[in-house]
Amino acid sequence: MTRRVVLVAIFFIVANAVAQVPKAVEIRKSLVRITATSQEPDYKVPWNPGSMSVGVGAGFVIDGDRIMTNAHVVSNARFIVVEKEDDPQHYPATVQFIGHDCDLAVLRVLDKSFFQNTRSLGLGGIPAIESPVSVYGYPIGGERLSVTRGIISRIDFQTYTHSGIDSHLAVQIDAAINPGNSGGPVMQDGKVVGVAFQGYSGDVAQNVGYMIPTPVIRRFLKDISNGHYDGYVDLSLTYFKLVNPAERHALGLPDNEQGVMVSSVSSAGSSFGVLQQGDVLLTIDNLPIASDGFVQLDGERVEMPEIVERKFKGDKVKCEIWRDKTKRTVEMQLDGNWPYLIQANRYDSPPRFVLFGGLVFQPLSKNFIDAYQIEDMRLRYFYNFFVTDEIYKTHPEVIVLSNILPDPVNAYLSDLRFQIVDDINDRKIRTLEDMAKAFAQKSDYYVIHFVGSARPAVLERSAVEQARDRIIGNYNVQKEQYVEGGLK
Amino acid sequence: MRAFLAILIALGFLQTGFGAAEPTPKEAPAPAAQKGSVVRVNSTNQAYDFFRPWSKAAPFSRRGLGVLIEGGNILVTAELVANSDYIELERADGGEKTTATVQVIDYEANLAILRSTDLKFLEGMQPLQTTTDVKTGDELSVLQLESNGTPVSTRALVTTVEVGKYALEDSGYLMFRISCPLQFRENSFTLPIVKENKLAGFLMRYDSRSQTIDAISSPVIEHFLVESQHQPYRGFPRAGLGFSPTRDPQFRRYLKLEDTDGGVYVNQVDRSGPAAQAGLKEGDVLVAIDDKQVDPDGNYLHPVYGKLSITHLTTTEAYSGQSVTMTVIRNGERQQLRVELFRRPVEEYAIEPYTIGKHPRYYILGGLVFQELTRQYLREWGANWLKDAPQRLVYYDRFQSDLFPEKRKIVFLTQILPTEDTVGYEQLSNLVVSKLNGRQILSLDDFAEAAKNPVAGYHKLEFEEDPHEIYLDAKQVEEDSAQLQKTYSIPALRHL
Repeated sequence: MTRRVVLVAIFFIVANAVAQVPKAVEIRKSLVRITATSQEPDYKVPWNPGSMSVGVGAGFVIDGDRIMTNAHVVSNARFIVVEKEDDPQHYPATVQFIGHDCDLAVLRVLDKSFFQNTRSLGLGGIPAIESPVSVYGYPIGGERLSVTRGIISRIDFQTYTHSGIDSHLAVQIDAAINPGNSGGPVMQDGKVVGVAFQGYSGDVAQNVGYMIPTPVIRRFLKDISNGHYDGYVDLSLTYFKLVNPAERHALGLPDNEQGVMVSSVSSAGSSFGVLQQGDVLLTIDNLPIASDGFVQLDGERVEMPEIVERKFKGDKVKCEIWRDKTKRTVEMQLDGNWPYLIQANRYDSPPRFVLFGGLVFQPLSKNFIDAYQIEDMRLRYFYNFFVTDEIYKTHPEVIVLSNILPDPVNAYLSDLRFQIVDDINDRKIRTLEDMAKAFAQKSDYYVIHFVGSARPAVLERSAVEQARDRIIGNYNVQKEQYVEGGLK
Repeated sequence: MRAFLAILIALGFLQTGFGAAEPTPKEAPAPAAQKGSVVRVNSTNQAYDFFRPWSKAAPFSRRGLGVLIEGGNILVTAELVANSDYIELERADGGEKTTATVQVIDYEANLAILRSTDLKFLEGMQPLQTTTDVKTGDELSVLQLESNGTPVSTRALVTTVEVGKYALEDSGYLMFRISCPLQFRENSFTLPIVKENKLAGFLMRYDSRSQTIDAISSPVIEHFLVESQHQPYRGFPRAGLGFSPTRDPQFRRYLKLEDTDGGVYVNQVDRSGPAAQAGLKEGDVLVAIDDKQVDPDGNYLHPVYGKLSITHLTTTEAYSGQSVTMTVIRNGERQQLRVELFRRPVEEYAIEPYTIGKHPRYYILGGLVFQELTRQYLREWGANWLKDAPQRLVYYDRFQSDLFPEKRKIVFLTQILPTEDTVGYEQLSNLVVSKLNGRQILSLDDFAEAAKNPVAGYHKLEFEEDPHEIYLDAKQVEEDSAQLQKTYSIPALRHL
């Protein structure tokens, strides 16, 4: 299921599996083979249920009769089956919690007898560099478990490709990680030290696999312990390393190699109203921040955001700052930052759209951008700079005329494709809900103005009403709108 | 440079397409009268390197044919001599050579007038008249020279007369599309096209697969020749408006237009253009220009060329300084507006649409290189510059008339020449400067002024984007500047 991974020679995996037989016998009681049938939404035809695919991944039993796996193994799943190594039976399972931002999920099995004779695995710490680990799973979809061995190569922040936008701690190992390994445990000294989740295709780098380390797993398990997954929180700011001596002197800072400068503060995030551009962050939760943005945590040098990574929605973080050449202490209550989700892959929710007069309107999103080839400069700007230029303040959703189902009612509108809606009948459109409401209002004309200098699109209500059944019939439209579930 | 390169490639096709050098039946020795009107033009061109604005890129040469016109001048395409360092004229018959200089050049209309430094050089040659009597279906001749100087002419058929794109992407003028099986010869850049011994056009692009020539049309050439007499040269005017069709019956009913009205919907009016000054507004329906009725697609009926875009009326039929009357329907009422046409000089644009033959302005402060944004800079990213160049800057260029209505330039940090002063700044590039030392920066001149006044010993640079502010030690920068210049072999730390 990990798309980035390309098959390597099978004999490697087999050879390693043989060498690992003694340990594999024990892991049999914990390893789970997961088969998920999923439906990928079709953003070009948003009313369609989407194309089906079947994927195989791995999982393992954890305490409380639960199964842990990757979010991407069970995303968009319609039906999930789990199997044990020494049991011919297929057990249906459901997703209990899923964290797309950390690519982890917890499954429940309806038939409790599944957990008889299973052994839940405990979590270990962060393994040391160069120490050996074993990776268990069902690479390239095989029926029987496989094991590969490797050592810990590197520990740092990585983009988690499942969401495409979140970066968390990740551990690089040199064991082969292939499709089907996803969700499987990475073991050391009988404990789980990670969940295998992504790698590179062979033409980018070889023997580079990544696992989700236990701080991320523990955080996920703690987050869901209240029965709800809130997700990661963020300071929602950018910072600049203060290593230039002139810059430090100009700001009146001593040469003690401490502090980073706040470059920008998102007005939709936790630090808004507390921190401002130009503030120098000196400490975070009493830990000194070095001028390169690192802090000493549990004997390790980690990047400053790692402090916030381990916190939860509603938690507080305290910073000493340098503003106007004086020291102050500030405190932020942590929350997520919704605008950035526009650039995150979205799962488990149908595409949102409104169809009117054969015109399809959709909010701008990562899935949208992936589905269409966007040449329009303005649209690309709205997407790329939605967060940094705070476009969300005027357009919490960017509503695009994404498609036209050709019909006499819209015969002359094709040149307006990929324009961004500004208002309808002089009412500003800020969200898809606004769109649906505007079209629900009775009016002789619907005059749609776009951002920029494109001409307006004019639809007569009578013409739209006449065209409605024709369009629905011709194009097999199963639903005329789906507006629920906006980002905010 | 991109537009020009595209043409170079087109000619490359020409070369490979005709590699087998089959005899072409439609070729014939050119009539004697033409022999004395065409001269070889060899131009050595060298563009500035906008990534390193203190230096020029490698020189290259282009060869083409020029046409002798009245007054002892030579007419060529602007592309042939764009960024020229050295222009050489070569007699077709004898092979004697002399040098020439550019008298007038218009990159938008893609035409240039050259003057020979030795006036006797052209003695015995016949100036060529132009003809605008060119219709679809006419037979023309494309002139070439064999390497030994023998003139060759190839028969060509006019298939379309329309307003089309010239060398620069946002200039459209009347163009002849001509079908012609053309053989590659060394002088293929700029080929004259004649009708009955009169100049009908210049080859601008040739597609060897479809055997189609896009030619600069004689009405554009005539306009250029007339305008070239004016001091200063004012360029081809533009109305400064954008329009869209009104074919859509629902749209027409909403605009309360009668079917007989025709007309186009004005969807864009450049804030400092002629239409805006005359009071045209977005939402007006333009139904006539002078006595020419505008149809719902934006065409009018030309007596010779048939249906033509109204763009031709305001760019080529009329000259800068002349006026046209635009009839618009606004709120159901007909109004007549007198529009005095002109071409806004490219220097007045916030982001110059093209910068050719000009030394780019720059200012280096402590290893930080600042320039005024030009499209030429963005083009340095190559054919895919729209996607590959920094996206904010591309967006600024594309929507500059909306984003920057005021008179200003975009000063930005292009790159860093690493020194001790720039430690920690190495990764910064393509950041738009908002302020220097507290002063708002609307041009590189502002920047140079502000650089004279550091605050408390530091230059404070503010950008529109992250990291928003950085500092330089003013005294240190001053002390290090000679070494910086030496280390990176930069002839001058600024060019304003």
